[in-house]
Amino acid sequence: MYAFEFERPRTLDEAVAALADDDAQALAGGQTLIPTLRQRLAMPGKLVSLTAIDALRGLSASGGVLTIGAATTHAEVAQQTDYPALAKLAGGIGDPHVRNRGTIGGSIANNDPSACYPAGVLGSGATVVTNRREIAADDYFTGLFETALDEGEIITAVNFPIPDKAAYAKFDQPASRFALVGVFVSKGKDGVRVAVTGASEGGVFRWAEAEAALASDFSAGALEGLSVDPEGMIGDIHGGPDYRAHLIGVMTRRAVAAAG
Amino acid sequence: MSVGKPLAHDSGPLHVTGAARYVDDIPVPAGTLHVAFGLSHEARGTIAAMDLSEVRSTPGVVAVLTANDLDRPVDVSPSAHDEPLLSTGEVHYHGQPIFLVIATSHRIARAAARRARVEITPRPAVLTIDDALEAGTYFEGGPVVWTRGDIKSALEAAPRIVEGQIEIGGQEHFYLEGQVALALPQDDGGMAIAASTQHPTEIQHKVADALGLPMSAVRVETRRMGGGFGGKESQGNALAVAAAIAAARTGRPCKMRYDRDDDMVITGKRHDFRIRYRAGVDEDGKLIGVEFEQFVRAGWSLDLTPPVADRAMLHADNAYFIPNMRIVSLRLRTNTASATAFRGFGGPQGVLGIERVMDHIAHELGMDPLKLRLANLYAKSGKDETHYGQPVKGFELADIIGSLAESSDYHKRRAAVAAFNAENDVLKKGIALTPVKFGISFTLTHLNQAGALVHVYQDGSIHLNHGGTEMGQGLNQKVAQVAAEGFGVGLGRVRITATDTGKVPNTSATAASSGSDLNGMAVKAACDEIRGRMVRFLAETHGLKPKSILFKDGKVHLGNQRLRFVEAVQECYMGRVSLSATGFYKTPEITWDRVAGKGHPFYYFANGAAVTEVVIDRLTGEYRILRADILHDVGTSLNPAIDIGQIEGGYVQGAGWLTTEELVWDDKGRLRTHAPSTYKIPACSDRPAQFHVALWGRKNHVPTIYRSKAVGEPPLMLGISAFLALSDAVAACGEVYPALDAPATPERVMMAAKRVAG
Ligand SMILES: Cc1cc2nc3c(=O)[nH]c(=O)nc-3n(C[C@H](O)[C@H](O)[C@H](O)COP(=O)(O)OP(=O)(O)OC[C@H]3O[C@@H](n4cnc5c(N)ncnc54)[C@H](O)[C@@H]3O)c2cc1C
Repeated sequence: MYAFEFERPRTLDEAVAALADDDAQALAGGQTLIPTLRQRLAMPGKLVSLTAIDALRGLSASGGVLTIGAATTHAEVAQQTDYPALAKLAGGIGDPHVRNRGTIGGSIANNDPSACYPAGVLGSGATVVTNRREIAADDYFTGLFETALDEGEIITAVNFPIPDKAAYAKFDQPASRFALVGVFVSKGKDGVRVAVTGASEGGVFRWAEAEAALASDFSAGALEGLSVDPEGMIGDIHGGPDYRAHLIGVMTRRAVAAAG
Repeated sequence: MSVGKPLAHDSGPLHVTGAARYVDDIPVPAGTLHVAFGLSHEARGTIAAMDLSEVRSTPGVVAVLTANDLDRPVDVSPSAHDEPLLSTGEVHYHGQPIFLVIATSHRIARAAARRARVEITPRPAVLTIDDALEAGTYFEGGPVVWTRGDIKSALEAAPRIVEGQIEIGGQEHFYLEGQVALALPQDDGGMAIAASTQHPTEIQHKVADALGLPMSAVRVETRRMGGGFGGKESQGNALAVAAAIAAARTGRPCKMRYDRDDDMVITGKRHDFRIRYRAGVDEDGKLIGVEFEQFVRAGWSLDLTPPVADRAMLHADNAYFIPNMRIVSLRLRTNTASATAFRGFGGPQGVLGIERVMDHIAHELGMDPLKLRLANLYAKSGKDETHYGQPVKGFELADIIGSLAESSDYHKRRAAVAAFNAENDVLKKGIALTPVKFGISFTLTHLNQAGALVHVYQDGSIHLNHGGTEMGQGLNQKVAQVAAEGFGVGLGRVRITATDTGKVPNTSATAASSGSDLNGMAVKAACDEIRGRMVRFLAETHGLKPKSILFKDGKVHLGNQRLRFVEAVQECYMGRVSLSATGFYKTPEITWDRVAGKGHPFYYFANGAAVTEVVIDRLTGEYRILRADILHDVGTSLNPAIDIGQIEGGYVQGAGWLTTEELVWDDKGRLRTHAPSTYKIPACSDRPAQFHVALWGRKNHVPTIYRSKAVGEPPLMLGISAFLALSDAVAACGEVYPALDAPATPERVMMAAKRVAG
């Protein structure tokens, strides 16, 4: 780890000001960032902790929307009851240590191709709220570890429209418990969404054919005969593209079945 | 009686409270320095240029050494002299040590090592078995071939031929305590070493050689290891030698330990194998002949490959009588870390080869696999000699299997599995029973010797030392039970002490499952010697026949009179009787001609069998071990609690090897799975949900220590039943034989299920 300055502001404005520095970077749960620093893959001059800002913490549900503050931990999301499918997703992330430290904001700012939240956010058609604007999930995830966030922009919350039915089906990579493939499906007033994480070289994506099939018939049977092309799927030490493409079909059917 | 009691591990309380001291916990003198290696970033090549100026100028760095800076060529191989401590210009694998850094802290040494600029002109690396076959890089000058009978005619005459191939992955030892050594320079130029090693004598030898000292000037001590599994038989040499060289140079204590990633990258693992087979059987499933080709990926240096590959050949029969046999073993040199000893030492790969053949034949003939196995077991009347000419004596497997099949309800459950599979499309169950027959003794005959040193002090306390090392397996406790038994006293009187080359010299590695067999006997010999002297003296002074003197229940019985043990000791001391003795043991009856592949290499065989039931999800390939039943033969157990622990651990480690533990090297020869985040060992939650382990109670037919049997390695092979249960579950997805490769990761299971379903 290289040396850095550390700040822990109490308000969003102070955080925005502290992050105006080119050299500054936000720190939430540190579950991704600290290992990155330890491997000297990043060298920020200053870390600005977001965990002392009350406005970024907590959950609230009203008008069919669940709002989750960016610095809310996975463990806290796992305990809420307004959106059970999302609670289940959060409760299946990593291990208790990771869930007690890691945050939703950190997860989607990082946009790891094997992370769970990107599937939950995209699969719910959520809105990412920042200190500057609101970004629809469809516009937010732009590639591997890439998002629509600008330099210095801070995620403050994520708004999830609570769907009628939803479920997340995840195939754990057994050693790290990240998603080898994870599929989040939902059926709400704006239709059906199927978001796939862990599988594609382009990061989280929506499986359009499956959504179309499910729109008219929300059942696992409706997916019969549909498959994903292995081309463009990740092949790495944990599994090949064929296996991942195959798992997308299986996990989607299971998610639909679980959503009921 | 202390022998035979299910006593807890002597260090149990220390282990669970964290008080047990490992090498890295030993308080070090002020001024201790730390050593780290700079590693090769290429798998093969020639060092073109090396700029270490930034390493040297790092604050805290005391010295940096390359091979050129050493006073003499320094070798760290166990025997072949083909492993220079530091590269001498050629680089043979990714992760090979090139230079070493001596610094004021472990972190500084490691960080500084990374600042080196080493230019290596790469050469095409030989990484896989296929690469090596193409390049023709064989150790030992080519294939090693052993034959029995006339395999050619046998296969020609056989009504059925079953042939195939299995890939078998390697395995990382994943000892919890990594490799570590501490060197303390002595005022007389000698060196004292504390090392986490299964082989203190080899460390002593290599350090003496590196420093140009006689072995008498080097003393190595090992109190305990946090796991070894074979990974600390030869792989600790480099650290101890590096620390000793650094200590000799600087005159200061020096310590070296590998971080987990470095440990996984630098040190050798279990050999991966490809086994090709061609078996001839009659219509009833009787084996007529089997031909094996064993392709062994040895890595860059010889290390222990010859005896490992020999043991794979020696276990190519497992428990079956095979009248005609030909085994070809190719020991292939590759540009990867040199594969080394790992619990079973090649035996598991050999056993898996023939168990795969049995499974495959049963599938082809549509026969119950258990029936097929029973039909081919070694038996009396001409079916009791192995392919290497050793008679199979004390063979308990027919009885063990029969008893296990009954206690585990094998036949009923097999029917239930079939019924379940008929009703379920996605989940499929599988069940398999596999035996193991494992040869006990080092195949290098001279290694089968051991020594012990026992002192009885004036206060009646007993100091126990022997040449074996404690790596968590409970050796010290078993041996202490032998000592307590020898004097008829409670275990509380016996003090277990660290293995020390200054107390017991010329020891063999604690390996080949032989720890208790060899050291238990040596300790018994030492105790018998002291007790004999006491008896002779007490008989004389008390006017009794020696025969009437008994050591029992903490007392010495002298006819009608009883002395407390300590009183008897004091009488002997006052009478100027020597109360210290060494003990020695060498295994009888063994002979071995490794070139011919003939002889009597094993003193006896350990046996066991396991039934495993699994369920797979054919769509994802995920699986669970639902139940495992084991019946294992440890002769008359010295300590049933410790033996059952060894059996449970061996099974889980064996199942891990064949299921989730996957080593992946990339096309540059870099090991990509070098941490627990990418390499999955079984956790507590991965053990079978129902786990029944029982000991087969019959005594050993040869006079081993209290008629017990070795237990370290044999149970690892019981894990093969988990692998074949998975194969059985996959087979339920269709008609074709699954031909599953190992490790059977979910991906392989899913793909095999797909293939089988057609
Ligand atoms: C062992 C292990 C297992 C894991 N398993 C899983 C898993 O199964 N599924 C899964 O989804 N994830 C998994 N994770 C990742 C985990 O969810 C991380 O917590 C998450 O990716 C990052 O969250 P964090 O709060 O720790 O962010 P940090 O590490 O603090 O930050 C990550 C990045 O986000 C930026 N950032 C943080 N907050 C904000 C914000 N509010 N606005 C803008 N930028 C911000 C930081 O600057 C940094 O670049 C695992 C992690 C570990 C260590």
